Amino acid sequence: MSSQPPRLAVRLLSWRLPDACREFILGDLEEEFLLRAARSKPAARRWFWRQTLRSIARPPATRPSSEARTPGDPFMRTVLSDVRHALRVFVRTPSYAFAVAAVLALGIGANTAIFSIVNAVLLRPLPFEQPDRMVRLFHIPPQATFPGMATFSLSPANFLDWQHDSTSFDGMAAYSFRQLTLTSGSAEALRVAVVGPDFFRVVRTQPALGRTFLPEEHDPARSKVLVVSDGFWRSHMGAAPDAAGRTLTFDGETYTVVGVMPKQFSGNAWGATMVPMWAPLAWTAKERAVRENHNYQAIARLKDGVDLGHAKSELEVISKRLEQAYPSENAGWGGTAIPLQELIVGDVRGSLLLLLAAVALVLLIACANVANLILARAMNRRKEIAIRAALGAGRRRVFQHLLTESVVLAMAGGAAGVLLAKIAINAGTAMLSNQIPRAEEASIDARVLLFVLGASLLTGVLAGIVPALRAGRTDLNDTLKEGGRSDTAGAGGLTRRALIVAEVALSLVLLMGAGVMLRSLHALRTVDAGFNATNILKLDVNAPDARYKEPAQKTTFYVSLLDRLRALPGVESAGWVDTLPVTGGGSVQPLVIEGSAERKPSEQPTVSVRVASEHYLKTMQIPIVRGRDFERGDGDAMLVSASAAKLLWGTTDPIGRRATLPLISRTNAIPVLGIVGDVKEALAEKAPPTVYLHSRELVFGDVSVALRTSGDPTVVSKAAVAAVHDLDAQIAVQGVHTMSDVIEEQLIAERFRTLLLEVFAAAALVLASVGIYSVLSYLVRGRRREIGIRTALGAQTADVVRLVVVEGLKPALLGIAVGVAGALAAATLLETLVFGVKASDPLTLSVVAGGLLIVSVAASLLPAWRAARVDPLTVLREN
Amino acid sequence: MWFKSRSSALGDFEQLVLFGVLRLGAEAYGAAIRQEIHARSGRDVSINAVYTTLERLEDKGLLRSWIGEPTAQRGGRRRKGYALTPAGTAALRQAYHALRAMADGLEGRLNPR
Repeated sequence: MSSQPPRLAVRLLSWRLPDACREFILGDLEEEFLLRAARSKPAARRWFWRQTLRSIARPPATRPSSEARTPGDPFMRTVLSDVRHALRVFVRTPSYAFAVAAVLALGIGANTAIFSIVNAVLLRPLPFEQPDRMVRLFHIPPQATFPGMATFSLSPANFLDWQHDSTSFDGMAAYSFRQLTLTSGSAEALRVAVVGPDFFRVVRTQPALGRTFLPEEHDPARSKVLVVSDGFWRSHMGAAPDAAGRTLTFDGETYTVVGVMPKQFSGNAWGATMVPMWAPLAWTAKERAVRENHNYQAIARLKDGVDLGHAKSELEVISKRLEQAYPSENAGWGGTAIPLQELIVGDVRGSLLLLLAAVALVLLIACANVANLILARAMNRRKEIAIRAALGAGRRRVFQHLLTESVVLAMAGGAAGVLLAKIAINAGTAMLSNQIPRAEEASIDARVLLFVLGASLLTGVLAGIVPALRAGRTDLNDTLKEGGRSDTAGAGGLTRRALIVAEVALSLVLLMGAGVMLRSLHALRTVDAGFNATNILKLDVNAPDARYKEPAQKTTFYVSLLDRLRALPGVESAGWVDTLPVTGGGSVQPLVIEGSAERKPSEQPTVSVRVASEHYLKTMQIPIVRGRDFERGDGDAMLVSASAAKLLWGTTDPIGRRATLPLISRTNAIPVLGIVGDVKEALAEKAPPTVYLHSRELVFGDVSVALRTSGDPTVVSKAAVAAVHDLDAQIAVQGVHTMSDVIEEQLIAERFRTLLLEVFAAAALVLASVGIYSVLSYLVRGRRREIGIRTALGAQTADVVRLVVVEGLKPALLGIAVGVAGALAAATLLETLVFGVKASDPLTLSVVAGGLLIVSVAASLLPAWRAARVDPLTVLREN
Repeated sequence: MWFKSRSSALGDFEQLVLFGVLRLGAEAYGAAIRQEIHARSGRDVSINAVYTTLERLEDKGLLRSWIGEPTAQRGGRRRKGYALTPAGTAALRQAYHALRAMADGLEGRLNPR
């Protein structure tokens, strides 16, 4: 802590103190501050702040002119006196103040929580130097082959040509991900990003310890070096200051740690930084020559002064040249660059803005409610206001006074809202961090506080302006003549009914949104994905290349693993596949059927290729339409999904015919054994044409094993992991989950969105019904006399109840009509976010409208019942 | 709050400030006066209250002021010093005498037995 006075306090003082004595007061304060700071700095700062606040509240007189009896600038003075008055009023009527502040706290708190996520995800820059200059590079695949795919990974040879030929970039690096199993200690699989030579130059981040890779370490022979993340350094290396230079053993090979990256480097949602370690990409000469296989990502930094458009067109020009130079591999393959920021948040922007809009609607409803409360109170205070006016308070002055009251309440609500938001953020971000990039960074920072301040001010003004305007119009004579009598029925009635209309309409929009989302979620949960997810346990197993060098070794390992797993009690069947459905990713390859010539790559039909063991389909209960499943001992063979059969063979029967997968082998024609059901890769999308491949020899080591169990799948998980370790204790088993959990996991974003909308809609419904209730109660109170007379003249209870309920229903019905129009307008925004249901679904809309109608009636019943209990004698005697 | 006396009689805080100026002599300025009042009377007043009163007393012609040199302890700011005018001395004397006359012989009764 410095021995300077608090800078903010000094700034405030300089602003508020009059010119004539600013210098002397600041000097005096600083002098005394230094004396006090010599004893205790915190105490001195507290003292300085106390002095500051007291001086701001009542700045000393400027050189007095004869008129300035009350010093300070007059506007600020009256505002401050209004604030003080408001506080006194609230102390006198705490329940009113509490009710208003609580409603606003909920509204502002919810808005703050959502805004803080929006802030973290959409507004805060990525933690790199000039993050807006960072772009990712992609191929644009030929549309005939990859319909609907906008971007594609790069091949090494193409990347190297881009790097060599382009001038728009200050550094360009390819990267990819591998899995290494830590074999010093217990086996643990770790994801490692293998990065090209320019990587650390492009991200412009220095290591916290040690260094990044030397140029010569990108030579495959010298590439057993690692840079580790701050998290790994803490969890696995005891945060040792001499970590650089230590060695670790992965898959039996020794790696040297050369550096540790700082903590904030991993604190963002870009995959290449969210790994525990980085290794050199170290392409071999053979790998560098691969042009046809697209397996690498790339990051680049735009040169200063080069704009994105220029870089994109340069990549297009280079790609065109490459198409001509290598037509068989590159025909139809374009190139593009997309800003990193856009890629990270692009998908969630719509969803987040939708939630922000929804929560803003809740705040609007809360405002309408509070306006109602203030209106009711202003009516009770008409006498006070009239007296003020009689004593010379102008209309503006009264307006300002009442508005100040509501703003003060909104500020209190805002302060409480920040606390609520803090709680909500702590609870919510853990759930979100996997699904919404950067959501875990959500926090209350200066921008969020500014938002709260703005929202509170706006809320206070919105809620207070109607009542304040009305109170300013109060007729002095009438009010004072009325004595203390309660006000008449008409006063404010129209305004109040308008507030009901608004509340009901806004609630309907929110309820409709929540309803549609709920139905969409249900549709996603119950969609037929083409396999049966119940009672399936999955585990990811990797037999690392380093120790299982020969394909035969891998094959043997998995054969014995399946045998052991099938022998476990409770396991009905077991099989493995390289990529399970719904988990994302997986290989997409061109396929050439026997008898037709291989076409240009850009015109070749492509299919999803899944390498699978025997009984994988049986385990997943993917139906065999015709033909037979793989059996152990089959050579290379394939099963095609119904849509793949139609795409590739049309009306011809594919069983017994053969096809080649040119990316794997141009010469190996593989026979088709059968046709199987279609399986979805993503719940909301169409099932892609898929080919299941049974391979005599396994070329890769990581697979997902699926077990069908007779009972609860989690029961066998321990035994299944033990079965793997019995075979090889140094193999890491990951991702042990039930398939149902995997599906739920995919739905987290939808579930979160739906949950929030439900909460908002529920809040809106409660607020709206409270609004209807309080307005009707107020109107009934005003019409007691009339109702009393009616009763005296023979009106029955039912008549009175009907009278009041109809009174409430009129604005509610109008609100529903307005709300339906609003919901239909909002539906266009929702359309892209829902699945299996239209955003303007008439059934949901009528259920919501009907429900709202019932709630409106229910909210009217209590005031109506109270009206029916009015005793005519008492009422008539009152006057 | 609404009605401030325009009479020349000194308010009690004005008296404290004037005594402070008198006691501090050449060293009479805002911070010193504030500390003097705090130390002797126990009233921890805000600096702006002191200045408000100083300015008012200067307006009434009871104080005169001068502006000193900037110093490092004050962050390079100047200080404003105060001294009693003859009228100020007279007013303070009058107030003090009035108080002493009224209190004469009562001191014992103000102390708890």
